[in-house]
Amino acid sequence: MKHFLSYILLLGVIASAFSQTDSITVLEEVLVVPTKLKEFSSGQTLTTLSDSLLLQNKPSLTSVLNYNTPIYFKENGLGMVSSPSFRGTTASQTAVLWNGININSRFNGQTDFNTINTGSYDAINVRGGGGSVIYGTGAIGGTVHLTNNVDFKRQFSNKLYLGYGSFDTYDTRYQLKAANKKWSTRVSYSRNQSENDYDYLESDNYNRNGQFYNNSLNAVVGFRANSSNTFKLYSELFEGERHFSLIRASENKTKYQDINLKNLLEWEYSNRKITSITRVAFLKEEYKYFPNIETDSYTFGEANTLIGKYDLSYNFSEKIKLNTILSHEYTDGKGSSIPNNFRNISSGALLLKHQVNSKLAYEAAARKEITQDYESPFLFSFGSGYRFNDYYKLKLNVSKNFRIPTYNDLYWATGGNPDLAAEEALQYELGNEFTYKNLKLTLTGYYNDIDNMIRWLPNSSGYWSPSNVDEVATYGGEAVLNWKKQFNNHQIAINSTYAYTVSKNKETKNQLIYVPYHKATTSVYYAYQKFFVETQALYNGEVFTRSDNNPIYNLNDYFLWNVGLGYQFKPHYTIGGKVRNVLNTAYENVENRQMPGTNYTIYLTLNF
Amino acid sequence: MKLTKFLAAAFIGSILFTSCSSDDDFSDQPDEPLGNYDNGILVLNEGGTGTVTYISEDLQTSEQAIYQTVNDGDDIGAYAQSIFFDDDLAYIISNGSNLITVVNRYTFELVGKVDSGLEVPRYGVVENGKAYVTNQGDLTDGGVDDFLTIIDLETLEVEQTIPMGAQDEALEYIKEEGGLLYIQKASYDTGNKIAVFNPTTNTVDNTIETYTYTGTLYGAPKDFGLNSFEIEDGFIYSLSGSYLEKFNLNTLELESSISLDYEGGDAYNIDIEDDQIYFTVANSVYTMSINADAAPEDALLTYNTNSAWGVMYGFEVEDDRIYVADGGDFVSDSFVEVYDLEGNLLSNITVGVGPNGFYFND
Repeated sequence: MKHFLSYILLLGVIASAFSQTDSITVLEEVLVVPTKLKEFSSGQTLTTLSDSLLLQNKPSLTSVLNYNTPIYFKENGLGMVSSPSFRGTTASQTAVLWNGININSRFNGQTDFNTINTGSYDAINVRGGGGSVIYGTGAIGGTVHLTNNVDFKRQFSNKLYLGYGSFDTYDTRYQLKAANKKWSTRVSYSRNQSENDYDYLESDNYNRNGQFYNNSLNAVVGFRANSSNTFKLYSELFEGERHFSLIRASENKTKYQDINLKNLLEWEYSNRKITSITRVAFLKEEYKYFPNIETDSYTFGEANTLIGKYDLSYNFSEKIKLNTILSHEYTDGKGSSIPNNFRNISSGALLLKHQVNSKLAYEAAARKEITQDYESPFLFSFGSGYRFNDYYKLKLNVSKNFRIPTYNDLYWATGGNPDLAAEEALQYELGNEFTYKNLKLTLTGYYNDIDNMIRWLPNSSGYWSPSNVDEVATYGGEAVLNWKKQFNNHQIAINSTYAYTVSKNKETKNQLIYVPYHKATTSVYYAYQKFFVETQALYNGEVFTRSDNNPIYNLNDYFLWNVGLGYQFKPHYTIGGKVRNVLNTAYENVENRQMPGTNYTIYLTLNF
Repeated sequence: MKLTKFLAAAFIGSILFTSCSSDDDFSDQPDEPLGNYDNGILVLNEGGTGTVTYISEDLQTSEQAIYQTVNDGDDIGAYAQSIFFDDDLAYIISNGSNLITVVNRYTFELVGKVDSGLEVPRYGVVENGKAYVTNQGDLTDGGVDDFLTIIDLETLEVEQTIPMGAQDEALEYIKEEGGLLYIQKASYDTGNKIAVFNPTTNTVDNTIETYTYTGTLYGAPKDFGLNSFEIEDGFIYSLSGSYLEKFNLNTLELESSISLDYEGGDAYNIDIEDDQIYFTVANSVYTMSINADAAPEDALLTYNTNSAWGVMYGFEVEDDRIYVADGGDFVSDSFVEVYDLEGNLLSNITVGVGPNGFYFND
C-alpha cells in the first residue's frame, strides 16, 4: 500500500508538471503494416492491432493476442511460461518476427509470449497460416509480427502510460517520438512488474512465488539521406526475472532470468524500378534457470546470432514485381547441457507478385535453404485474391512450410540427434471476405498436413533423443468480424473472433492436448464525448490434458469478461480503470494452475 | 426363528468370535477388512499429480485416485515416487512437491504431512519409530548435495539432516535389515556403492562397492553401475546392468557373481521371492533359483508395450503373482498386468499416469 501511495503521488507530480505543456499532437489511428507483409498476403488474412488497442490490454503479448485473435495460449499460471497454439499447431510452429527478423529461441524454437512487452511496438500484425518462404522456420500455424514504424512526418510527441493494479502490479510505458523530413527517432521504455500473489478461488491457497518484473528498452532511428536512400536502426534490450509459481507450498522455489538483445540495421535504396534492402541483424539470447532459489546453482543457455539479408525487388511494370531474398544466418550457442556449437544456414527465395487488374492479384514464391546441419525441404507458396464486387472477396493460398530442428534437438549433450530433418507442413487455405459499409466479416477454412514432427523419445540406450516421428493434421475455421460506426458524439467499435480447431495425431486419431475445439473473443469499445467504455470477453473451450483424450481429466471451458471505463480530462490526458474477470470465474488454463479472480487496474495516459 | 435357536446361535457365535480374535493366525476365518482398501493391491502412479489405484485381491475390481476420493480432492503432490509403511500407516513420497503424505493404509484417510525439510525425496524406511528418507536435492550436481533426513513420526518434523552425497553417489533405495540401513548410492545407472548406515550412531559404518563397467554413450565413455538391490537370507543381491552380484551381509565380501548378457539390454528391477530371483530385461521377465550359477536363457514372460520410456516402469513379485507396470506415454492413464508364476496373464488393469510401484494390503 505504501508503494501504491507514493506511486499515486508520482502520477500527480508528473501530471502537474506536464499540464504546462501545450504542444498538442492528436494521434490518429494509423494501421501500421510492414510493406512485405502487405504485399505478399493476397491469399491470407491479416489482422493488425494498433498501439491504442495495445494500451487496452495488459502489456504481455499473451494477454494482447489472447483477447484479440483466435490464437490459443497455454499459460502456466498468470505471467508464467506461455506458449501459443495457432490453428492447432505446437508452440514452436508459430513464428514471431521482430521487424521482419525471426526471433524464436534458437534453443527450443519457441517464443515465450510472456517475455515480450508490447509497450515497445507501434503495431502487432498477425497472419494466420504458412509463411516460411519469407519468414523462415516455425511459420506453420501463423506469424506474429512485432512492428516498429519509421516515418518522416514532422512531429515531437511524448506518451506516458502509468498503470497500477491488483497484486501490486505496476505497468509503465513511455514513448518519445521525434521526426522531421530527414530524421525519425522513437525511443520507448516499458516496465511491468507484479507480486502476482493472487488468492486462489477454489482453495485457501494463494499464488506463491509468482512474482516477476521485466524491462524493455527500445530505440529506432531512421535517416533519409536523399529520396532514394534510407537508413534505419532498430535496437531493443529486454531484461526480466520471473519466479515460477508453486502448486504446493513445499515445492522448491524456482526462478528464471533472461536477457534478449536485438539489433537491426537496414539500408533501403529505391528508385522507380528497383527496391534494394540490405539488412544486418545481431540477436543475443541468454537465460538462467535457478531450480532452487535458496542456492546459487543454475542452468543456462546463451546464443548469438548474426544475420545478413539482401532483398531486391524489381518492378517490371506497375503490375508485376519480382523479388529475391538472399540470407545467411550464423549462430553460435552453448548451454549447461549443450557444448559450444555453431551453425550456418544460407537461403535463397524468389517471389513474384502480379496485380492482374483491380480485381485479381496473385503471388508465387519458392525458397530453399542450404545447411550442413539438417535436411531442409524445398518450400513454396501460391496465393491469390479475387474481388468479385464491393461486398465480396475470395482468397486462396497453398504453401509448404517448415520448422527446423533447434539447438536443443541437434546438440543436446546426451541425446541431441545430428541426423534430424526439418518438420514439414503442407497447407491449404480458403478465405472469404465480406464487406458492407463499416462491417467486415472474414471466414477462413484451412487444412494443414504436418509431417516429420520432431518428438523426443528414448533411444536404445535409454536416453531421450529427438526423431522425426509424428504426423498431425490440423484443420478448422476462423471467423473475424469488425464493425465500426461514428455518429454525432458517439463512436462504437466491435471486434470478434471465433476459431474452430481440430488438431489430430494421425496415428491415434486423438486431438492434441491443450488445443480447444472452440475459442471466441469479443471486444466492444464505445465512446460518448469524453467518456468511453470498453469490454472484452473470452470464451475458451474445454481442453484435453491426456493424450488418449480421456474426458474425465479435461479442463473445463471458461468465460471471462473484462470491463473498462475511461475519461479524457484534457484533450490529451486520459484516466481510466479496468475490472478484469468481472464474473469472478474460477478457471485453470493448465492443469493445477489456478488463475486469478476479479482484479483491478487504474491508469493514467498522458500525451504531450 | 425360535428364541432358543437364536440364543444357541448367539452362544456359538460368541465362542467362535472370541476364539478367533484371541488367535490372529486362525486361518480359516477371513480377516475383517480394516478399511475400504484392505485386501488388495495399491498401485502408485507418479503423475503429473500422483495418484494411488486400488485393485482388489481377486483382481476383479479397481478404483482410481483413492486418496483424492477419500480426502475431498486433496492430492499427494507431483511425481509420486514411492510408499513406505509402518504398522497401519502409509507414507507416500512425492519428489516433485517435497512432500510425504501420511495416510491410514487401509482407509486412505489423511493422518498428516511432512512438508518441510525435504528436497526431491526418493525412498524411505521406518526404524525405531523414526523415518529415514533419501533426498537427491539439486538434480544437476551429480549427487553431491544428496542427504538423508530423519523424521520424528510423532511430530512429522524433520529432526536431522545428514549430508551423504558425493559425485556419482546420488541416494536412491533404502532398506532395513538387522537394525542397519542399506542405502543405494547410485541413480540412473550412475554410481556403484551401497552404504551401510547405523541408525544408532547415525554414521556410515561400511560401504560396499558393486560392479561397474565402462560403456559408451554418444561416443563418450560412461561408467554404468548399480541399478537395484535386494537383501535376502543374509545376502545382498545387487544388479548392475550386466552383472548380478551376491555379497555376504556379515562380512560384506563378494561371494559370487553371474553375468547377465542379453540382447534386449541390461537387467533391472531385482526382486527375490520364495528362493527365486526375478529381474527384467526390456519388456521381459526372467527368473532363476537363488542358488543358480548361470543366468537363465529364456524369458518367463514378455508383455506387450508401446511405451517409449516407461517399459517395466514398476515390477514386483508377491504371493505367487508377478506384477508389471507400464509407464505408457506419461500423458494418459496407463496399465498394469498381473501374471502367475508360470507367466500366464491373469489380468490387465487400467491405472493412472506413469505407474511405478506395487504395495500390498493383505
